[in-house]
Amino acid sequence: MIGSDEVTVEVSGLVKEFPAPGGGTLRAVDGVSFEVHRGEVFGFLGPNGAGKTTTLEIIEGLQEPTSGTASVLGLDSVHDRERMKARIGVQLQAGAYFRYLTLEEILDLFGSFYPKALPPAELLEKVGLLDKRRALVGELSGGQAQRFSIVAAMVNDPEVVFLDEPTTGLDPQARRNLWDLVEFINRQEGKTVVMTTHYMEEAQVLCDRVAIIDHGRIQALDTPLGLVRRLPSAYRIVFQASGGVDEAALARLPGVRRVTPVQLNGFNWELAVRRAAETLPAFVEWSESNGVKVEDVQVIPATLEDVFLTLTGHTLRE
Amino acid sequence: MRKLFVASMKMLYRDRQSLFWALAFPVIFVVVFGLFDFNQAPNVRIDVVGADRAPIGPALVQGLDRVDSFDVHRTASEGIARKDLAEGDVDVVLAVPAQTPAAGPAGIEVLYNRSNFTSNQFALTTIRQVVDGMNLRAAGVSRPALVVEAKAVQAKTVDYYDFILPGLVAMGVMNISIVGMGVAVARYREQRILKRILATPLRPIRFLAAQVLARLVLSVVQSALILGVGVFAFGGHVYGNVLWLFVLVVLGNLVFLNLGFAVAGRASTPDAAQGLGQAVALPMMFFSGVFFPVETLPKVVETLVRYLPLTPLLDAMRTVAVDGKSITATGAQLLQVGIWVLVSFWLATRLFRFSETR
Ligand SMILES: Nc1ncnc2c1ncn2[C@@H]1O[C@H](COP(=O)(O)OP(=O)(O)O)[C@@H](O)[C@H]1O
Ligand SMILES: [Mg+2]
Repeated sequence: MIGSDEVTVEVSGLVKEFPAPGGGTLRAVDGVSFEVHRGEVFGFLGPNGAGKTTTLEIIEGLQEPTSGTASVLGLDSVHDRERMKARIGVQLQAGAYFRYLTLEEILDLFGSFYPKALPPAELLEKVGLLDKRRALVGELSGGQAQRFSIVAAMVNDPEVVFLDEPTTGLDPQARRNLWDLVEFINRQEGKTVVMTTHYMEEAQVLCDRVAIIDHGRIQALDTPLGLVRRLPSAYRIVFQASGGVDEAALARLPGVRRVTPVQLNGFNWELAVRRAAETLPAFVEWSESNGVKVEDVQVIPATLEDVFLTLTGHTLRE
Repeated sequence: MRKLFVASMKMLYRDRQSLFWALAFPVIFVVVFGLFDFNQAPNVRIDVVGADRAPIGPALVQGLDRVDSFDVHRTASEGIARKDLAEGDVDVVLAVPAQTPAAGPAGIEVLYNRSNFTSNQFALTTIRQVVDGMNLRAAGVSRPALVVEAKAVQAKTVDYYDFILPGLVAMGVMNISIVGMGVAVARYREQRILKRILATPLRPIRFLAAQVLARLVLSVVQSALILGVGVFAFGGHVYGNVLWLFVLVVLGNLVFLNLGFAVAGRASTPDAAQGLGQAVALPMMFFSGVFFPVETLPKVVETLVRYLPLTPLLDAMRTVAVDGKSITATGAQLLQVGIWVLVSFWLATRLFRFSETR
């Protein structure tokens, strides 16, 4: 679902300092400001230690900021936190549930903490865990446990759901299942989702807008496409050509940033370009008019990984 | 709140391993101590030299024989008897003098092995009683009223099992609370369950209160089990009102639960909480009089351990269970435990935390 204009989460000038292990202070969050609109899936993309969890927990009212403000649905995360908690759903990073209660009992118990709550069976049905209602959390697979922790964040039918690294540690199949679930929550149930991840693919697939965060600062914030388009070269054209190729002529084609000879899955040339549509017609004409036999061509769009690398000078995994 | 309490009870009940140890551990002690018969006097082997020397010899042997736990032999010479004693074959040698002096009392020589401390005490006292009886009879007194009364008093004070039962109750409760609660809460924190609860509108104190309530119920069950096995299976006694005992258990448990929360707050992992909890509970178990009266400790140590919470609690429990008095007789101890409730609560609120760091 694409977000409306209505602001659901508002964060302004957020700073969180911790005492650093070796003395001094560590700025885990360093002046973060953004807005999330109703109905959006908003994502934080950044490596471990970037400040994602801290930012989320401040918004959820679980930590207090050193300075700056956060509010959800117009309720301040510090001063109105009790009222706010009734209207949000929270999934903690690597958070567990009581290991000696069944799924049904846990949902029933957590439901009793709220003024109004959905019936456990209905919730479990939604995530395909109804047949596991009498199972203990320890008896679930990794993917099932994550689905359960998401549905446990929805017992109060919240308007905004916060998911902290919901797919970390899952295998690709389980991850895809979870993406479907997040889309379901957002599209069918109309909930605003604020999530974090360090998988660029996840941000690209799921999020309407992505904030790239590193060292406690937002480095860029836009739609995934918008972020990629900001790159000097948003696409790579790779091709296989036999015979001699005039590099200088290629470099003169419109939109081409860089020409590199490569050895890549049977391709031997790579063009870094601003827009594929801008360069491709000229490229075809170039090959015909110069008699270069182009065997195969592929257009590869840049990813958020490339965006991250360009912005921070290091990769997401470092 | 009702749901929360029921859920807390379910969790305690389903954690079979912890539950087993909470209940079985003190009961094992109850059974082991129950297997020893602390009332039975030690069997004492006695050699009597000159058993046929009239008039004392035969009367003495007859008197000694009447004591159940005396195993009396007649020995021909003092030399053999001394050898038996030296080799540990007998515990006591009695030598009847060959001649009765014309005037003054006749001396009976008693030799005993200095290392048999407990049996000596018993043997010498009893021998003295037998001899006293002979003296009284010789003086024409046939009904010594004193002996009967002395026995009545002994029946109650000597029974070590009755002494240790309240100790085991307190030990069990202390363990499930300081160690058990500490580990459980540290685990809830490590798994971020506490934080997850903070993210709901529930006042976190209610969650903790439900946990405390469930543990109080568990401690009453545990105490009932310990006392039940001790009294019905092994013939222990609770002389006072059992209900007062439970009141004391619950009161003391408040201190231990607070200490459990303090332990959980101080420890960074459940394992650390286990270690720290033991470090708090074990010294109390040994020094506060679970197994031995604190009076048997060196004076300085005794003075110190009287400030621990378990000492006045045990004092009060024994005043009820062993001395058979009402809880009103334990005012001073109740005051001390009450102060500990406040101190430990203060400690718990200082040290306890919901997340990994403050
Ligand atoms: N409670 C804390 N005390 C001290 N340092 C912390 C604390 N929480 C987080 N940090 C530090 O703050 C930084 C950001 O952490 P976090 O928000 O968890 O990052 P992320 O979720 O993006 O991995 C890290 O360097 C982390 O070590
Ligand atoms: Mg994190």
